[in-house]
Amino acid sequence: MRPGHRARKSRGRLSPFTTLTLAVLAIAMSAAAGGFAYFMPAALVTLNSTSQVVQVPSPSPTDILFSPSPSPTLVAQQGAFTVLLLGSDDDSKFTSDHVLTQSMILMRVQPATKEVTMLSIPRDLYVHLSTGGSGKIDGAYSLGSAGAAIATVEQDFGVHVDDYIWVGLLGLIKVIDAIGGIDIVTSSPVMDDYYPADVYGGDPYGYQRVAVLAGPQHLDGIHAMQYVRSRHSDLQSDYGRSKRQQQVLQAIRLKAKQLAPSDIPALATAIGGELKTSIGLDKVARLVPLAASFDNPDAIRQVLLLPPYARSGAPGGSLTPNWGLILPLVHQYFP
Amino acid sequence: VIPRFLLAAGLAILMAIGGMTSYVYLGSRQSKAVAAPLKPIAVLPRAQAFTLPGTIYLAQSGALYSFSAGRFHQLTSEAGWTQPSLSPDGNSLLAVQRYPTYSDVYIMTRYGSVTGHLTSTQAPPRSTWDIGANAWSFYPRLSPDQRTLWISYDGPKAAGNGYFDVDMAVWAVPFGGSIGQGRPWTSANSYTGGDVQPVPLTSGGIIYTKYSYDSEANRVGQLWYTNRAGSAGKALTTTSADCAQPALSPDGGSIAMICTYQKQVSYLTIASWNGSSLGGLQTVISDQLVAEPIWAPDGSGIAYLAPGGPAAPFQLWFLPKNAYAPPPPSPIPTPSPTPGGPHNAPLPSPTPSPAHVAPVVKPIQVTTNLGFDATSPLAWLG
Repeated sequence: MRPGHRARKSRGRLSPFTTLTLAVLAIAMSAAAGGFAYFMPAALVTLNSTSQVVQVPSPSPTDILFSPSPSPTLVAQQGAFTVLLLGSDDDSKFTSDHVLTQSMILMRVQPATKEVTMLSIPRDLYVHLSTGGSGKIDGAYSLGSAGAAIATVEQDFGVHVDDYIWVGLLGLIKVIDAIGGIDIVTSSPVMDDYYPADVYGGDPYGYQRVAVLAGPQHLDGIHAMQYVRSRHSDLQSDYGRSKRQQQVLQAIRLKAKQLAPSDIPALATAIGGELKTSIGLDKVARLVPLAASFDNPDAIRQVLLLPPYARSGAPGGSLTPNWGLILPLVHQYFP
Repeated sequence: VIPRFLLAAGLAILMAIGGMTSYVYLGSRQSKAVAAPLKPIAVLPRAQAFTLPGTIYLAQSGALYSFSAGRFHQLTSEAGWTQPSLSPDGNSLLAVQRYPTYSDVYIMTRYGSVTGHLTSTQAPPRSTWDIGANAWSFYPRLSPDQRTLWISYDGPKAAGNGYFDVDMAVWAVPFGGSIGQGRPWTSANSYTGGDVQPVPLTSGGIIYTKYSYDSEANRVGQLWYTNRAGSAGKALTTTSADCAQPALSPDGGSIAMICTYQKQVSYLTIASWNGSSLGGLQTVISDQLVAEPIWAPDGSGIAYLAPGGPAAPFQLWFLPKNAYAPPPPSPIPTPSPTPGGPHNAPLPSPTPSPAHVAPVVKPIQVTTNLGFDATSPLAWLG
């Protein structure tokens, strides 16, 4: 064979070492691409839901009634942070982002001591709103989204809120279904003849009958929602509902500990646009293992603003806050 | 050496396979925690499966099932069926069929064929938006003489805008009669959910669960006993113990129940019963979320529902009797003199026997991967 022909032929072929290297690279890249494709829907949903920009309006001087928020630097030094959990009816009665927050829970997490404090704020509490004027605290979100809700809580309760998480009605149902349901001990039958038929009932102003029987049980999303949302059958009305909401939050946390990373895409797809948070992806990544390490239920403190902290009798069926009692309590747990 | 075009084709195939394998592998690594429960009849009995005596009746996803000799049989379609209970003669089943706005009690054969409609609680709307005239009937039981149907029933109710109280009371209805012929035996506390889970006694009285508010405004359950209609009866357990779901033992001398102590726990608890009062509460299981305990008809133990794992759906479990009533230790033999005359030698010392240590008896998980309705009491035919 002529030397020139041999040279052309050898340029069309590769050595075994190069071939093996290419094969290994191809497998690694394709495996990574498969993983990327698997997690991409979750990543997109997460990107859309997290790192929400919050514009907290500066309250007017007349609205500032109480002590200013503690220094964020101090908070950062301790590693503790405060999150405002917001839950809304977001059915067709309301336009997007102009919803009431039926549930408002201020949560303080102290990683060093693995303690969590959850303070349920009655939705009917009559307060100064950050957007001006006074009204029920559940209206703050409808007037100015998360920023207004955060600013209202900060100015009235004298706390600093680091982040917020907002979830809609369908979001809670979908989250609980996506994690396979939760185990709850319902403390008594929850019976309601005037429960809103606004989620799957077709009529946002209609009613349905609800009977969540008492005792330990495994609840799917729709029944868990009925359990936390019903208030007509409870002498404690919104207070009783707040207790149930905290039970369900803890049950979700317990169930979430059983999940694997491979469950995330299905979970993210289920949640869709029903969850928004200001927490960034980097912080989410840090919080997941942190949440899993909180395994002592006694380290989760639940605080409800029952009478005498708030009393009925304010305008429009709202509750009058007793700030003289509330603020020392809040500052004890949310320094 | 491999030609370049062959290498390119090979690498393309390799990458396609690698990508798909990675995707499928990740999908297969989803946790079992999110998996939906299987249907009981889809579960093949295991060769060495633990079997319970007799037949247990339970509910899952709106269908009734019987479970005997390690095998499930579906008795009804998935149509809102729940809370089966056996007639005292063991020939029939009572069960509740639940609809969106009301529930009714039916009687059926042990094989699921409906033979009678015992309550009729459906009502027309009071107005275009008010459906509150409908009623729930739950927890059906027949009296030992089979002449009275006991139920928890929330009707008839006061009507009107802003009237939101919905509480169940325990009613006694002549078996085969209409609910209009029945009468309430208990008077429910307002805004508590009411009185539920009646257990009729041979004496004519009932044990039931009453919900109330304690001194700190927490809603709690207590076992109560009453022996006549309209009587307040008496509380058998404290509000702090927060007990519910009573079940009478076959000999009538003990009651099994769950107690939560106002926390997100549910302990299996038993107590002696003398016909009018309870003995001290004995916690038998404290590390599971126990629901709907029921005694084995032959007294061999207690079956109940509890999650198959952390935060998982409820499975059938069985606790052998030795776990809560261990047999007394065998007496240590004492030496006796040899009969037939004076005994001059020292008495033989007994062989030292090891200290008696009762073996730890643990609950047995009977089913896996199912998801029983934990608000549906079990029924057990011996």
